[in-house]
Amino acid sequence: MDYLETEKERRVTQLRKGILELAIMGSLYSEHHYGYSLVRVLMGDGSLSLSEGTVYPILTRLDKEGLVRSEWVESDQGPPRKYYSLTANGRKLFESLMPEFDQLVTLVKQSRNGAKSRQNQHLGERILVKKEERA
Amino acid sequence: MSHYPEVVEKIVQDYLQRVGIQLKRFPNSDQEEMLKELGSHIYESYSAESDQDPVGRILEVLRKLGEPADVVAEKLQDSLLNVGTLKKVPLYVVGGVVVGMFGLPLGFAGVAMLLGGLGAMLGLVVAFFATASLLLITGVAGMGLGLLRMLNPELWDQLVAQGFIQVHGRIGQLFDLLSPATQGALLVFLFMAIAAAGLGMLWLSKRMLKGLRFVFDLMLDRAKTLLRRRRHHAFAWRTRPSSTLVNEVPPDEKPLSGLASYSTIR
Repeated sequence: MDYLETEKERRVTQLRKGILELAIMGSLYSEHHYGYSLVRVLMGDGSLSLSEGTVYPILTRLDKEGLVRSEWVESDQGPPRKYYSLTANGRKLFESLMPEFDQLVTLVKQSRNGAKSRQNQHLGERILVKKEERA
Repeated sequence: MSHYPEVVEKIVQDYLQRVGIQLKRFPNSDQEEMLKELGSHIYESYSAESDQDPVGRILEVLRKLGEPADVVAEKLQDSLLNVGTLKKVPLYVVGGVVVGMFGLPLGFAGVAMLLGGLGAMLGLVVAFFATASLLLITGVAGMGLGLLRMLNPELWDQLVAQGFIQVHGRIGQLFDLLSPATQGALLVFLFMAIAAAGLGMLWLSKRMLKGLRFVFDLMLDRAKTLLRRRRHHAFAWRTRPSSTLVNEVPPDEKPLSGLASYSTIR
């Protein structure tokens, strides 16, 4: 069980990290956020459970690539906040990536359904063989 | 101006200092930006935490944020890959991939060990190819000399007289007893064997590389499994309720009968 759990944990983390960039772009598509508010949107309900610090390197990279813009804004309480929003290029890229992502999800679902139907077919064959043996 | 109670301020500064150490290889502007942003995040997160105990609150905030090394490892991986792509330096790309693949599961000490192993193997491979090439070049050059001795003995004698070719000792005395054609044939035969050894080494190199790759993969696989298990046990130890006995298996962790085979391959 240890082995299974560890492997599952590792792969789930990899999957989450893989889609984090897309999720960040999606969150910044229609509204701007500062780091902490973005983290709350992405991880608030626990669906994308990762270390909160993982978003900052991605934001920095997107910023350097010109896909997001950022600006420091003074806050009434506490230190200034760095706000991020998607640039026109970022929006275009996100719009072109979404269909690709949907296709990937569909592909995974279809392959699982395919596997299930094959499994059922094998089960059916086994039952048939047993019935024949009894007969 | 400090936004925290003194003890919390100390914890925050200590965390940021640790991040700062990890960020040493980045430009100063990047370091300052990252630290400023993390500082802002910590404050926002701290303000939103409901725990009444300030120390408990800040520790929870930092736990959620992640270990400094892990936070920076993400940035390091991105940075190395970016630099590699921009400057077209494959070494940076390889470095980025190595850190990404092994830095997170193995830790930086693991990466250092891995790189040390890689360096040693690289040295072995370079030495092997250098020896093979040297044997081949020497063999070909010696065969040329043998042919020269056979086909143009006058030129050979001139080269010996001018000191370009020197044959001393017993081998020289033995050579003097033989005719030029025999000397040439002997040289060709001898150096052909040396060249053949070089060629043989080059032919074997394919197998040697395969063998080294196998040994390396094996070592890597062992190291990764070991460290993953250690981390998993450390995590389980930290998160286990204090009342749980060491050998007690919680009901939901009892192995399923259908998965019994897993215990043998762990």
